[in-house]
Amino acid sequence: MRRLKGNHICFTVIAVMLACSPFLVGSSSMVQFLGKCMCYSIVAIALDLIWGYTGMLSLGHGIYFCLGGYAMAMYLRLRDNGGALTDFMQTGGLTKLPFFWKPFLSFPLAMLLVILVPGVLAAVIGYFVFRSRIKGVYFSIITQALTWAAYSLFIANSKYTGGNNGITDFTSVFGSTRGVANRGHLTAMFFVALAALVLVYLLASWLVNSKFGKLLIAIRDGENRTFFSGYCVNQYKNFIYTLSAVLAGIGGALFVNFNGSITPSQMTIAYSITMVVWVAVGGRGTVIGAVIGAFFINLCEYNLSSGALAGIWQYIVGAIFGVTILFFKGGIVGIVKEQIPALFARLQSAPAAEKEKKEAA
Amino acid sequence: MTDIREHVLKIKHISVIFDGFKALTDVDINVKRNSIHFFIGPNGAGKTTLLDIICARTKPTSGTVHYYPLGRNAVRLTGMKEYQIVNEGIGRKFQVPSVFTALTVMENMVLSLKGHKRVWESLFYKLSDKDEMAIMEVLRKVGLADRADVRAGSLAHGEKQWLEIAMQLVQKPEIIMLDEPAAGMGKPETFRTGELLKEIKKDCTVIVVEHDMDFVKQIADTVTVLHEGKVLMEGAVDEVLADQTVQAVYLGRGGERYAGN
Repeated sequence: MRRLKGNHICFTVIAVMLACSPFLVGSSSMVQFLGKCMCYSIVAIALDLIWGYTGMLSLGHGIYFCLGGYAMAMYLRLRDNGGALTDFMQTGGLTKLPFFWKPFLSFPLAMLLVILVPGVLAAVIGYFVFRSRIKGVYFSIITQALTWAAYSLFIANSKYTGGNNGITDFTSVFGSTRGVANRGHLTAMFFVALAALVLVYLLASWLVNSKFGKLLIAIRDGENRTFFSGYCVNQYKNFIYTLSAVLAGIGGALFVNFNGSITPSQMTIAYSITMVVWVAVGGRGTVIGAVIGAFFINLCEYNLSSGALAGIWQYIVGAIFGVTILFFKGGIVGIVKEQIPALFARLQSAPAAEKEKKEAA
Repeated sequence: MTDIREHVLKIKHISVIFDGFKALTDVDINVKRNSIHFFIGPNGAGKTTLLDIICARTKPTSGTVHYYPLGRNAVRLTGMKEYQIVNEGIGRKFQVPSVFTALTVMENMVLSLKGHKRVWESLFYKLSDKDEMAIMEVLRKVGLADRADVRAGSLAHGEKQWLEIAMQLVQKPEIIMLDEPAAGMGKPETFRTGELLKEIKKDCTVIVVEHDMDFVKQIADTVTVLHEGKVLMEGAVDEVLADQTVQAVYLGRGGERYAGN
């Protein structure tokens, strides 16, 4: 119970700091960056639910992040165009708006699709994968392959998707100038993302502390036993996988508003693995760990990718990941909660033991 | 039809072939209600495979298993899914103690309770006082009542075995199957496990796979000896252990140690 409280206090501190930041931070690009970090945190929580808690390592969450992102971007692009054909459609020789673009003319429908498209795709994939009891490394490979397939599909069908360039060049969701040039609306968007992050955090915390959450851990630690305790494990896996995909999609949709574009590069395997790094470094199996990891790695990247270390920052992030996996399995959260207290305990007991020795002598 | 009341499980003509290897051949066994029924035999005799067949972990090549719950119609277990069989009232404990190590003893028990197994039910589940009392009663029975808040991973080996038995009991099964419950236990612990099973027998039927002959003598009502996938003999414990053929294939050769080499 005490452990739980510590997590919530930590998240509250992060949320309050974030809430103050638009008023304290001068640089608009920094505010925009923190906005992106919140979106990453949402995806990290989504990934942590299925990896940290349920033990299924998805190496393809970029696909759901991107689908949410594309849904948002398609709406914004069409609205700015007044429903006319986009430039890449014209280049591709289309004369009519493709049927699957039409729902994105309406804002409520587009928002619904942000949730539905990743959700339905994950539910269908999950149904077949979990029914066949595919797990472990095979699950990881399949998610990776699907992501690769989706990436190729988006690149190859550029007249529908914008190909390599993706969908770009739109104004903000409020219909005004987007991004750093419009601080007021950037701040408003920032608070939308913050609200989403708080809600997702609360949802995930509630979930992992319910009986359902305990069952996810049970599946991770003893899938066989879970079957023989009378649970249809496939349904549980599919539920959490679908929920995770939906959360990733929401993260992607918010991300577009800060990034100003969505491209297939956010769907690549490399990008999906980056998400895994966030969770691993922050501390998998804790909701707060996912949030901390997403902020920590991206802040590192933000500070290191320019300046003297620009050439080697990727190696630095890689080294952090490697060291975490080898020595700090619980990530940052594990260091704070287990390794540091253990160290203190050893430091305290060492002089005591020495004293005892002296006294004995 | 009187034997429907007498027997809780009927295994008929079960054969299993793995890639040409006959693991079980035409096995017929009836298990009496409220008895402790042992499957014994050398390594590779097919004991664990038989348990796997009953709880649908393995599909038989031919044959059927029927289950006769009290006050309900007979259930054909062959062709059902493992979790459905559990919910019909047949529990299974594995050879290697498999408890959820990251969860507390209490949480392990809550997950094992009968009912509330669907996704929606578990999302909004709240432990009732009645269920909590039922859990504590079972924990007292196995001697883990004072360890309810301990992580299952930090229990001793024997305690894990008892916890797993407790996880079966709290589901109120009609049949509980135990694969080597005394493995890795010392004499006093084994004896205690035996007494526990005698206690359990009052409420349900116990099927055990075990090698420890003292343990078999302590508690067995019926013993079925399997050898090379066939039923060699079945009967009361003294009768079976006195049999010449049984001694020849199993006991006389120094039991498992010999067969294992």
